[in-house]
Amino acid sequence: MLAQSNGLTLDALRDKAKVIRRHVVEMITAAKSGHPGGSLSAADILTALYFGGVLRHDPANPLDPNRDRFILSKGHAVPVLYATLAEAGYIPVDQLTTLRQLGSTLQGHPSKADLPIMEASTGSLGQGLSVGVGMALAAKMDMADYRVYVMIGDGEAEEGQIWEAAMYAGAAKVDQLVAILDYNKCQLDGTIEEILNWEPVAEKWAAFGWHIIEINGHDMAEILRALEEARQITGKPVCIIAHTVKGEGVSFMACNNEWHGKAPTADECAKALAELA
Amino acid sequence: MLTDTPLHELEMRVVYGNTLCALAAQHPNIYVLEADLSKASGTNPVFCCSYPDRFINVGVCEANMIGVAAGLAVEGKIPFCASFTPFATRRVYDQITISVAYAKANVKIVGTAPGITAGPNGGTHMCLQDLAIMRVMPHMVVLSPADAYELRACLHWMAEYEGPVYLQLLRGQLPPIFDPSYGFAPGRAQHLRSGGDVTLVSTGYMTSFARQAAEELAAEGIAVDLWHHPSIKPLDGESLAQSARRTGRVVTVENQSVLGGLGGAVCEFLAEQCPAYVSRLGVPDRFGEVATEEYLFNKHGFGVMHIKEACRTMMRRAQCRL
Repeated sequence: MLAQSNGLTLDALRDKAKVIRRHVVEMITAAKSGHPGGSLSAADILTALYFGGVLRHDPANPLDPNRDRFILSKGHAVPVLYATLAEAGYIPVDQLTTLRQLGSTLQGHPSKADLPIMEASTGSLGQGLSVGVGMALAAKMDMADYRVYVMIGDGEAEEGQIWEAAMYAGAAKVDQLVAILDYNKCQLDGTIEEILNWEPVAEKWAAFGWHIIEINGHDMAEILRALEEARQITGKPVCIIAHTVKGEGVSFMACNNEWHGKAPTADECAKALAELA
Repeated sequence: MLTDTPLHELEMRVVYGNTLCALAAQHPNIYVLEADLSKASGTNPVFCCSYPDRFINVGVCEANMIGVAAGLAVEGKIPFCASFTPFATRRVYDQITISVAYAKANVKIVGTAPGITAGPNGGTHMCLQDLAIMRVMPHMVVLSPADAYELRACLHWMAEYEGPVYLQLLRGQLPPIFDPSYGFAPGRAQHLRSGGDVTLVSTGYMTSFARQAAEELAAEGIAVDLWHHPSIKPLDGESLAQSARRTGRVVTVENQSVLGGLGGAVCEFLAEQCPAYVSRLGVPDRFGEVATEEYLFNKHGFGVMHIKEACRTMMRRAQCRL
């Protein structure tokens, strides 16, 4: 029977997040394209999910029916998912630099057909939350106790389908479902505030019937507390609004939206890795 | 729920609802998803009352319906999603492409009231391109059954087949073409009449009209080789080539735009495999409008008399055999 594993200590989690960030930078540098900003903003949350004793999962049996599901709906941040899965033992670490290469299962956005451990094919924004709702409904129908976690981007939350899914999940009281909003304040063309200011966002999700937890998405203890609180909530879905920094962990990328979808040069990569040592 | 009424005396949507109930009794994983059109597609009341726990109405949120279906499918369920044809296909084209087809999710999509059968609702609801747009999607099977027996057989096959399928569902009662023994196989056309003069290829709603045209042409001495293709993708190229080689003349007719659907598929195949003269009947490159079917048949030239005229015109051409 698949069980929750004990998580790493807070210090070990912070170290693990650093390793994952290093992979992200190296992968995107090798691929010469990709999205570092939104990958780095999500790194601490993914670290907490996979190494903090949150997700019930087993790399030896990746499709165990009782596993918790994680969908990266903001599919362009997939380098951070591949890196996390490699550190967890699902993907050989030395395959990470095949990202975006011809014939690689590490496609530029998650592709379930190419890599079955991806819970959904995403990257066309707005679709992952609906898929997660379907999985959470299936869990209920099968009286299974797995949970479904869906990370969505803040720019992505401008898609109408996100709100269709939010409305349905709230109305149908789909629990066993946790949406994590990676609120790094920037989308491709600029800040959320400039492009489409959807604040007050917490009030919106709450009005749709979700339990809201608002956190600093880079504070490991806060992330773990939020995910633990989410586990205790029944009768409604949970939305964790994680305030993050785009490009977090690399000084010249942090809060600099030029790094939304740009690959580092070899020099920039070396500089970033030195900061993440 | 299930009556002794012969299937062809029932509306197609009733056959849809009844068949899903019968399938649900055998397959615990069959689920029905609706986006507030369950009465139109025929799952309400029969399915939603029989299987309330396996009936999900997401409201007027077609995109979410497709995504939820993809999630259910990944977990081993067999979701059948229905809406009016335009909202089941073109409105959610990217959701079907990425969440369903690209991910190879086992989702069944049903578009009701296809083509000109949406008449009174007019151009917004008159989807003339669903066969074309669904056909160019990798992994997608595209079906358009012509009567109640074929619909039932298609639904049974869809429940067993592991993969995404799109089916056009006519709503009303249709004249029977097949009988209760009908067995469906994808990529297999039905040979409804043998003849050596001209090949007539039809699908879905137009097949009963094509049959009538072929019968009337026989009285004029024109022998039509009539093939009904319930499966637009995969297309039965083998029977098409065999017939086209014999006649050298092909007429297609469909309740769709002449661009990209059955006629398009036939032309693509024949151009590469077995060139022949082809005449495509259907709606030209236009939007629909509020009108009777008779008006639209006459305006666009794809009713019985137009099918006959197209076959006669073909007969005046030399055979094309390359």
